[in-house]
Amino acid sequence: MNSANDILSEPDKPPAPADGLVELLRSMMLIRAFEERLMQMPRPGFQLLSSGEEAVAVGVCAALGPDDQLLSGGRAIGPALARGLEPHAVMAELQGKITGPCRGKGGRGHLAQPSAGFFGAHAVVGGNLTIAAGVALAAQLRRCSWIVACIFGDGACGAGALHETLNLAALWRLPLLLICCNNQYSVSTPVRQAIAPERLADLALPFGIPRQTVDGMDVVEVRQAARVATAAIRAGAGPFFLECVTYRFATHSTASRESRPPDEILLWRERCPIQRLAARLGAAGVLDQEGLAALQREVAALADAAAAHADAAPFPEPAEGLTDVD
Amino acid sequence: MLTESQAGGAGAGGPKVFFREAIARALGEEMERDERVFLLGQDVAEFGGPYKETAGLFERFGAARVRNMPVAEGAIVGVAAGAAAAGMRPIACVTYMDLFTLCLDPLVNYAAKLRYKTGGQLHAPLVLKTTAGAKGQGVAHSQCLEAWLMNVPGLKVVAPSTAADAYGLLKAAIRDDGPVVFIDHKRLFPTTGFLQMQEIPLGRASLVRHGTAATIVTYSFMTHVVLEAAARLDQEGIATEVIDLRTLAPLDVETVCASVARTGALLTVEEGQVVCGVGAEIAFRVHERLPQARAARLGARRAPISSNPVLEAFCLPSVDRVRDAVKALLSA
Repeated sequence: MNSANDILSEPDKPPAPADGLVELLRSMMLIRAFEERLMQMPRPGFQLLSSGEEAVAVGVCAALGPDDQLLSGGRAIGPALARGLEPHAVMAELQGKITGPCRGKGGRGHLAQPSAGFFGAHAVVGGNLTIAAGVALAAQLRRCSWIVACIFGDGACGAGALHETLNLAALWRLPLLLICCNNQYSVSTPVRQAIAPERLADLALPFGIPRQTVDGMDVVEVRQAARVATAAIRAGAGPFFLECVTYRFATHSTASRESRPPDEILLWRERCPIQRLAARLGAAGVLDQEGLAALQREVAALADAAAAHADAAPFPEPAEGLTDVD
Repeated sequence: MLTESQAGGAGAGGPKVFFREAIARALGEEMERDERVFLLGQDVAEFGGPYKETAGLFERFGAARVRNMPVAEGAIVGVAAGAAAAGMRPIACVTYMDLFTLCLDPLVNYAAKLRYKTGGQLHAPLVLKTTAGAKGQGVAHSQCLEAWLMNVPGLKVVAPSTAADAYGLLKAAIRDDGPVVFIDHKRLFPTTGFLQMQEIPLGRASLVRHGTAATIVTYSFMTHVVLEAAARLDQEGIATEVIDLRTLAPLDVETVCASVARTGALLTVEEGQVVCGVGAEIAFRVHERLPQARAARLGARRAPISSNPVLEAFCLPSVDRVRDAVKALLSA
């Protein structure tokens, strides 16, 4: 067992008021259903799945406004869908089809649709951190009111790019929310073997950046923390570091071997953020079994439609590969 | 050493300035013209740039647009790439080209691929200005690594040899939708030349000396070394044509081939390594069109560039080595 446990919220915590909670649940269920449907495609391809981590992206995106920009690491299906990208467009991009927002050229790990507030994923671990700082600097220089959020993994916390980004973000008081989606593994390497600080949020401490570590399996807690952080950032307080302790349910990628202890996987599956919120809403009388089933049908239909669209959409002509180069 | 008025031809119109002043002038004019243009790098603010090439800009444009950066090359280029993608037109200054080893990720993996990987939704109009070349600073502050960059789809690379070209190419680079790497040279900063007060389009080489015996293709500071060698060869009755590439990517193969078609012989001269170098690329591109032409390449000897003056000079292409290489090529 790891130290992440001490920040896990109590499962019997009293339910929050029904402040958009069904929408949060639906958004998480869509990500799960989408990824399940993706893996049923005839050729799902190499993918980086977000299942298990849905609460992080959904909770953060619930605190973002339409003009804000989100960046992410390569594990971007959750962030893209949580930001509101159309499932059929995301599925098309992941399948390399021309109807994807990047015309099938970005693909897995590089989803992007800035017009929808998703500035983009970048599959180099830690590679989007200084980029996000630059986007935030542009917002500051242009005196824009929107802010920038960047989701990265615990793996990025060992990279110099994070140190450089924290330093500049603090120095310039950038409108930047840094979200560490700590799923506790870099492929096979446990965070304990890779990163010295026990809490990754403490990396922000020497820079004077406010920080918080939350249970990343609890979407309500993530959203609450993100709301507080984004309000401070919008008020001009500068950057914020939000660590969300979570767990991916699948292997690092669809091509990776599983290396984590089976009992650990089981334990974290029991903390499934979707089941947890559904149970909370059920107990509060907000959503009954029938309502939950209806939501499930709805997201499954969206995932099916996305798959059908992606299946029918054409690949780019090979010559498309020579466009948008220079 | 020849001045760039000899290298660059007619210096009509503009004032005579130091190379470093040409850079500061282009930067200042572009910042005046377009408020999205801003500068970030180590020592670029009050200090005025490592070689005074940003002198006066901090006073004119202030700390928001002339931003001193920590010694963090990855962040200098990453922040610039992100800001460029978000609508600004930054000029990122990395003091020495050797330090590209620290910032290739945001340059190569992000900025150069951004337009492609987003299907045209985003692009990175970024200029990365850096200083190459050997001048006594040793193994990690002397290198010419431009051949690495020519290999990357999506990157443009310019390396002027004169004040006029530095001014004109920097203006074009800033206006380009980039990313563009702008390479100056330690030994060029003290040179002077007449400005031509005009933008110089990227991708066009300059024929700086006419001749019939052989074509020498070079760029950046080596242009001056080559021109001196050409003058000596002239005295020996060997008239060489000299092309200053000015832009390395995209490469002006047309101008090079037109010259080699006339002379029948090609020598490439670069300050960096010849293995997979600029000359290797040019020689092959010429060979594809003119298989009969003779070709040879000259560059640094295959060793690190020492701060020891004897060892540094031994490694670099010199006037004598250029002259010998032309003679060897013609007697082959």
